[in-house]
Amino acid sequence: MNRFLDLANHPGRAYAVAALLPLLPVLLLAVAATVRNLARCRRHTDGSANRIYWLLGGDQPLKVGGYLAIAAMLGSVALSAWGLMHLSGEPAGKLDPDRWAERGEWIRIGATKAEASAVSLQLGYRIDHLTALMFTMVSVVGTLIFVFAMGYMNAEAKEHLEDHAIHLERRGRFGRFYLYLSLFAASMLNLLIADNLFQVFACWELVGVCSFFLIGFYYERPTASTAANKAFIVNRIGDAGFLIAIAIAFTHFGTLNIEDLIGAFSGGRPASISQEMWIVMGLGLFLGCAGKSAQIPLQTWLPDAMEGPTPVSALIHAATMVAAGVYLVGRCYPLFSPEVLLVIAYVGMLTAFVSATIALVMTDIKRVLAYSTCSQLGFMMLALGVGGWVAGLLHLLTHAFFKALLFLCAGSVNHGCHHEQDLRKMGGLRRSMPITAFTMLVGVLAIAGTPFFSGWYSKDRILSAALGFSLDHHEHALLFFVPLIVAGMTAFYMFRLWFLAFTGSPRDPQLQPHESPAVMTVPLIVLALLSLGVAWGWPLWNAEASALGHVLEKAEPILRTHHLAEEYHWLAGGLALAAAGAGAGLAWAKYGRRAPTPAHLAEPRGFLAEKWYFDTVYDAVFRRGTVKAAYASAKFDKAEHAKSLDGTMNSIATAAARVGANARKVQTGLIRQYVFALALTVLGLLGMLTWLTK
Amino acid sequence: MSDPGLTGYLVLSAFIFCCGVLCLTTKRNAIGLLMGVELILNAANLNLVAGARYVQSLKLDGQIFALLVIVLAAAEAAVALAIFLNFYNNRSTVDVDDAKDLKG
Repeated sequence: MNRFLDLANHPGRAYAVAALLPLLPVLLLAVAATVRNLARCRRHTDGSANRIYWLLGGDQPLKVGGYLAIAAMLGSVALSAWGLMHLSGEPAGKLDPDRWAERGEWIRIGATKAEASAVSLQLGYRIDHLTALMFTMVSVVGTLIFVFAMGYMNAEAKEHLEDHAIHLERRGRFGRFYLYLSLFAASMLNLLIADNLFQVFACWELVGVCSFFLIGFYYERPTASTAANKAFIVNRIGDAGFLIAIAIAFTHFGTLNIEDLIGAFSGGRPASISQEMWIVMGLGLFLGCAGKSAQIPLQTWLPDAMEGPTPVSALIHAATMVAAGVYLVGRCYPLFSPEVLLVIAYVGMLTAFVSATIALVMTDIKRVLAYSTCSQLGFMMLALGVGGWVAGLLHLLTHAFFKALLFLCAGSVNHGCHHEQDLRKMGGLRRSMPITAFTMLVGVLAIAGTPFFSGWYSKDRILSAALGFSLDHHEHALLFFVPLIVAGMTAFYMFRLWFLAFTGSPRDPQLQPHESPAVMTVPLIVLALLSLGVAWGWPLWNAEASALGHVLEKAEPILRTHHLAEEYHWLAGGLALAAAGAGAGLAWAKYGRRAPTPAHLAEPRGFLAEKWYFDTVYDAVFRRGTVKAAYASAKFDKAEHAKSLDGTMNSIATAAARVGANARKVQTGLIRQYVFALALTVLGLLGMLTWLTK
Repeated sequence: MSDPGLTGYLVLSAFIFCCGVLCLTTKRNAIGLLMGVELILNAANLNLVAGARYVQSLKLDGQIFALLVIVLAAAEAAVALAIFLNFYNNRSTVDVDDAKDLKG
C-alpha cells in the first residue's frame, strides 16, 4: 500500500486516487440497493431477509447515499488541491513525465509473443497544468452542486411523492440520483486524467450514459425520456466521428497515447500519414467534440436536456460534461491541421451566434441558460480555432463556475416558485429571495463580461485572439465581428432574464415564492465568490495578468498567439465592453426601467422561437426519413414478387408445396393401378436385364 | 401323346400368369381379383412342378414348394373372402374402388 501510494515520487497518483474515489459511493449504493431489493421480495417469509431489508432503510430512499457521495467528492477536492500545490512547486518548463504520468498495458492485441509487432491498449494517467485545473474545477463545482442537490432533491428523499408534471405518485429515488451523480463524477474525473484516446473514449461514453440516465431521471414524463433518447442518439453521431479518428490514429501510429501522438506531430505532418487522412482524423475528433459540446449541427440535444433535474443541468449540461469536448480539442490541439482549426473556429462562431439569437426570445429560465451554454461553448471553440488556446480553456474554467452558479440560481428559483420555470410568470422575486437574486446578478455580470468578474478575463482574451487572427487574415474578419455581436447579445439576454425574474412586481399572484434553505444558498454564495474572483491576478485591470491564465500558459502546447492580439488587446477589450454595455443597456431599457409591457411577454413566435427550424428540419429529414425508409424496406421485404428476399424464400416454399401436391396424385388408392405399375416395372426390369446380358 | 418339354410348360405358365395380371388390373369386383390372384399363384405352381419334373437336381423340392403354395393360397382365399364378406355386409357391394375410407 505504501509503495502504491508513493506520493513523493509519483504525486500524480493522488489524482488517480481522487478520480476513483467517487466510485466508492457508486459501488456501495449499488450493492445496498441490490441486496435490499433481493431481501424485499423475501421479507415476509424469511426473518433474516426482513431484518436486512429494514437495516438497509426499508421503504425509504437511501438518503445516506447523498452524504457518502459528498464525502467522496470532498476527498477528491482535497487530493486535487494537494496535487495543485505540488504542481506549482515543480520547476518551470515541461513537467517530468516520470513523476506526473504512468501507464500500463491493458489489452494486448495481435501477436502474443514479446515482439514489437504486438500492440496494446494502455491504461494510464498523465497530469499537466490543464488537467490539474480542470480536475480541481470539476471536483469543486461537483461538490457544491452535490450539496445544493441535497436541498433541491429533498422531495426525492420521501417514501412517496407526487410528480408535479404528470401527477403521478411514485417512490422517491434519492439514492439512485446520487449513484448516477457519483458515477458521472468518477467518469468525468477519469476522462480528465486519461493519457490515451481509448481511455478518453471509454470515459466519454460513461459520462454520456450518465447524462442519459440523469436527463431521463423523471422517466415517467414522456418529455424527459424522449429528451434522454435524443441526447444519447445525437451524441452517438459525434462518437462515430471520434471512433474514426481513433482508428486512423491507431493504424497510422500504432499508439493512442496522446503525448506520443503529439510527439509524432511535433514537426508538422509526419510522413506516415497523408494530408487527407490527417484532415479526416482531425474532423472526426472534432465531430466527437462537437457532439459532446453541443456545437452545430449536433447542438439540438442540449436545450432538451433541461428536462433533467436542475442540479444535473448545472453539473453535466453546463459546467463539466459539455466542457469535455472543448477540453479534448485543447488536449489534442497539435493533432489538428490548420484547415481543421479553421473549421472549428467557424463552427464555434456559428454556434455562438445561432444559440445566442435563440436565447434572446426564450421564456423558460432554464432554456435561456441552455442556449447561453451552447453559445459560450461556441466561444471556446472559436478561441481554440483561431489559436487562442489559453483564451478558450480559460473561458472553459471561468464559464464552469458562473454557469454552474446561474443554473443553481435557476434551480433555487424553481424550488422557491414551486417548479414554475416561465419567466413571464415571475417578477419581483428580488424581495422574496434576496440571496438568489444577488448571487445570480454576480453570475449575470460575470457571463456578460463586466470588468473584474471572471468572465471578463477570459472573454477579453478570446476576443483579442479573434481580432489578432482576423487582422492577420483579412478574409476571416467575420471571426472577430460575429463574436463581438454575440457578446452584446449575451449581455442582453442575461440581463433580460434577470430583470424579468427579479425586478418589477410579481406578475402571477398565485406564485408564493420563498427563499431556499441554507443548504442551497451556501453553495450559491461560494460559487458567486468563485465566479467573481477565480481568474484574478495582479494587476487586476489587466486581463492578460490572470493568475489562472498564467498556470494554463504552462501547459500550452504550441505558442500560436499572434503578436497582433497583444498589441490590439485594448481595442478588442474596449469593443467587447461597449457591446456588452449596449446589450445590458438595451435590456434595462426594455425590461428593467419599467414593468415589461404585455407585448414583451407575449408567446414568442417565428424564426427564433422555432430555434432556426433545426429541430423541425431534423425531424422532417432524419427522423421521418428514417421511419419512412424503414417502412419502405419492410414493405419491400414483405413483397411477394420474386425480386425481394421474402418473395424468393416464399417462392421456394411454394414450389416445394406444389411438387408435393402433384406427387400426391400418383397415390390413387386404386389397387389395379398399383398392380399395373408393378407389372410394367417388372417388364421394364426384365427388358433391361435381357438387353444388358445380351 | 408327345412330351411338350419344359418350354411348353413355361409358355403355358407365362400365359396363365399374364391372364392373372390382366385380371387383377382390369377387374373391380373383389371376387374377380381373388380369381386373378389364384391364376397367378397356379401359374407359379405350374412352373415349380415343371421344374421339378425336368430339372433332375431339384428332385422333390419343386413339388413340395407347390404344395406349400396351395395351402397358403387356401389360407389367403379364406382370409380374403372373410374380408370381402364383411365389406359386402357394410357396403352391399364388392367393388374395391369403394374401399377408400382410409384414403387421405
